[in-house]
Amino acid sequence: MALLLHFSCSPPSPPLSPLPSLRNSPSNSLLFTVPALRPHRFRSFPSLSAQTQNRHSLTATNASLSAVESPVTSPLDGHDGESPPPKLLLQVKDLRAVIAESKQEILKGVNLVVYEGEVHAIMGKNGSGKSTFSKVLVGHPDYEVTGGSIIFKGENLLDMEPEERSLAGLFMSFQSPVEIPGVSNIDFLNMAYNARRRKLGLPELGPIEFYGYISPKLDLVNMKIEFLNRNVNEGFSGGERKRNEILQLAVLGADLAILDEIDSGLDVDALEDVAKAVNGLLTQKNSVLMITHYIRLLKSIKPTYIHIMEDGRIVKTGDITIAKILEKDGYKAISAA
Amino acid sequence: MAASILSPHLHITSTPVTLPTRPSVRPKSRVSIRTSSTPHASLSDPFVLQLAETLEDSLPSSSASPPPPPLQKLRDTSSQSLISTPWPSRKDEPFRFTDTSFIKHSQILPISHPPTLSGISTDTQLPNLVIIDGHLVYFSNLSELPDGVYAGSLSSLSSESIMERVSEFVSDFEGDLFWSLNGVGTPDLVLVYVPAGCRVEKPLHLRYYSVESGDVGSEKLPISNPRVLVLVEKGGEIGIIEEYVSEDDNKCYWANSVTEVVIGEGGKVSHSYIQSQSSSAAHIKWTSVRQESTSTYELIEISTGGKLSRHNVHVQQVGPDTVTELSTFHLSVSDQTQDLHSRLVLDYPRGYSRQLHKCIVAHSLGQAVFDGNVKVNRYAQQTDAGQLTRSLLLEPRATVNVKPNLQIIADDVKCSHGAAISDLEENQLFYFQARGIDLETARKALIFSFGAEVIQRMPYPFFRKKVENHIKELLEPKLKGS
Repeated sequence: MALLLHFSCSPPSPPLSPLPSLRNSPSNSLLFTVPALRPHRFRSFPSLSAQTQNRHSLTATNASLSAVESPVTSPLDGHDGESPPPKLLLQVKDLRAVIAESKQEILKGVNLVVYEGEVHAIMGKNGSGKSTFSKVLVGHPDYEVTGGSIIFKGENLLDMEPEERSLAGLFMSFQSPVEIPGVSNIDFLNMAYNARRRKLGLPELGPIEFYGYISPKLDLVNMKIEFLNRNVNEGFSGGERKRNEILQLAVLGADLAILDEIDSGLDVDALEDVAKAVNGLLTQKNSVLMITHYIRLLKSIKPTYIHIMEDGRIVKTGDITIAKILEKDGYKAISAA
Repeated sequence: MAASILSPHLHITSTPVTLPTRPSVRPKSRVSIRTSSTPHASLSDPFVLQLAETLEDSLPSSSASPPPPPLQKLRDTSSQSLISTPWPSRKDEPFRFTDTSFIKHSQILPISHPPTLSGISTDTQLPNLVIIDGHLVYFSNLSELPDGVYAGSLSSLSSESIMERVSEFVSDFEGDLFWSLNGVGTPDLVLVYVPAGCRVEKPLHLRYYSVESGDVGSEKLPISNPRVLVLVEKGGEIGIIEEYVSEDDNKCYWANSVTEVVIGEGGKVSHSYIQSQSSSAAHIKWTSVRQESTSTYELIEISTGGKLSRHNVHVQQVGPDTVTELSTFHLSVSDQTQDLHSRLVLDYPRGYSRQLHKCIVAHSLGQAVFDGNVKVNRYAQQTDAGQLTRSLLLEPRATVNVKPNLQIIADDVKCSHGAAISDLEENQLFYFQARGIDLETARKALIFSFGAEVIQRMPYPFFRKKVENHIKELLEPKLKGS
């Protein structure tokens, strides 16, 4: 608690200063994820760094790109001052989940709190449960939740079907999206977009109107128009698949976008494109949860927090400095701390 | 010749393997069938003889003008083979999964009077022929065909040289009982002739109607026997669309159809075959193709109609470097059987073939059958043959019987085959859901997309759209609330 306050009171603090305290207090590390502590803390971050500011200015120019003009968020966009406190978006408490088939426990009590406008990154070794966590959030049938709770925008996510979670504003970009032969990309996007319009009580868009809506979005992910006529993910390269996921995010919009290893299998240029697109979609209202192995993504999409996952739990939370230690000394350095 | 030498290795006993040799008995006149208590009796099936006899009697009297020689020859050879061909039973390998007793137990009626054209829409821009109950009764826009192309009945053909070419190929192949019944019962032959080097730009549209029909429950089953020969000379090209149209879904009839395709060296035939007859009808179809060197044959089949629908495809390669592509989509939405028996025989080097068979069975009493045989004989080196069959079963107890089989004797070939039978893919469904699309919509989209892979191969956008809409109409009620 004290550490946190100290941290928040020194905005221009040198990057390394909070770190030693984090490393020196392993017993406190779990405290960082205790939800009850959060409200005291979030105030500290709006002025965290110059990058955050950058993000906000990008936001201003791209705000119109957010998909459906959601009646929930748009009226609030008006008073964009510093005064309204960020709202709680996602609250995960002691989440436990098993593989549906084998009943093997993968998540062993995950705690996480995400507020509007925050960017979180989850890092961890292979098999630590990062991807499982993201799949459980969106309701993947391969996993069964055995304990804990997930509250998203005040509603119990666990009561909702996967499509309801999506319509509620949760989006996950798949690590390896499946091919769907015979369904064209534009038809797929049209269906998904219309599902949202229906939910909002808006008239659905026909193929021609939708084409007009979607064409400008393609520039965002640097894709050619022919991309729309190809079958969903069929014969796509790794990079094209990831771009396609981001295109879907751009078209559908999301309050919380979960990017599951969006950087794997991408070359430097493609990574830049994807990162640029994601940054362009960020606003003060929506949040991102990134799952990644690599710090290079975090250099392009700046996280507010980094969480380290190990054996189905979040064992450490901090800022970008954690990633720097990781890069230098690996997970051992974190675990040993 | 190679085939006959090698046949002992092939382990095919009950299938009528295509061999150039005919049984030693010479063709006899139709009289021999009537006096069927002859020495052949031990092999004869009285029911078949009776049926053949009825069909012969129903033919228009030949006293006025004798049938053209190829037609007479066809009738003779067909009569001959019927003498020794029994009605197929489930014990015969080619009919192991296909029950034809529904036809046998109906009252099969020949159609003797050529029908009239009332109520048949004639609004098509394409050169087209309308075949009603096996009779060619109408054609239009044929002037759009290039000079030298003939599309019409054999009886009306005046060119002797073409008649001679037809004689060379008629009854060159031995099919099964239904093939021969068609040969006996067909009132005339519809001939499509494309001279050497002639590329026909617009496809020729053949529309088949069955007008004579019985009501459901009446057990009456009028039989029609349309027969078409497409003869494309060296370097010629044509697109053929065969469309079997349903006027009323509650009518019972039996279309027993044969199409023969002969493609000369370097020629190309693109063949679309759309079968949407009444779901109370029997539809038996033969497609026999003969491919000379460097020729191309493409078949796109979409079959959705018939209570019993069976398509027999036989492609015989008679020269090297041929290209053969067979794509089929079958849909059973009621208690219907959709059956494809295909056989591709490669005897020459460097043949290329691809076959895709997809079927959806969306009814608990529905059935799909696929027997796809590819024979790569000794001299067919460097053959590249691929075959894939995928079935989607949407209801409990829906049945599919697939038997993809490659028989390879040549030793330097590239062959692949695969078979998959499944419900919809879970991970594909989840992908839709994760984007906010509900399960029902997702299922629908995936089911349509399953057939789309074949439908998208149809070369004519107008027909593609038409077929897509038809499939949607058929599937829509099946998907409600599933």
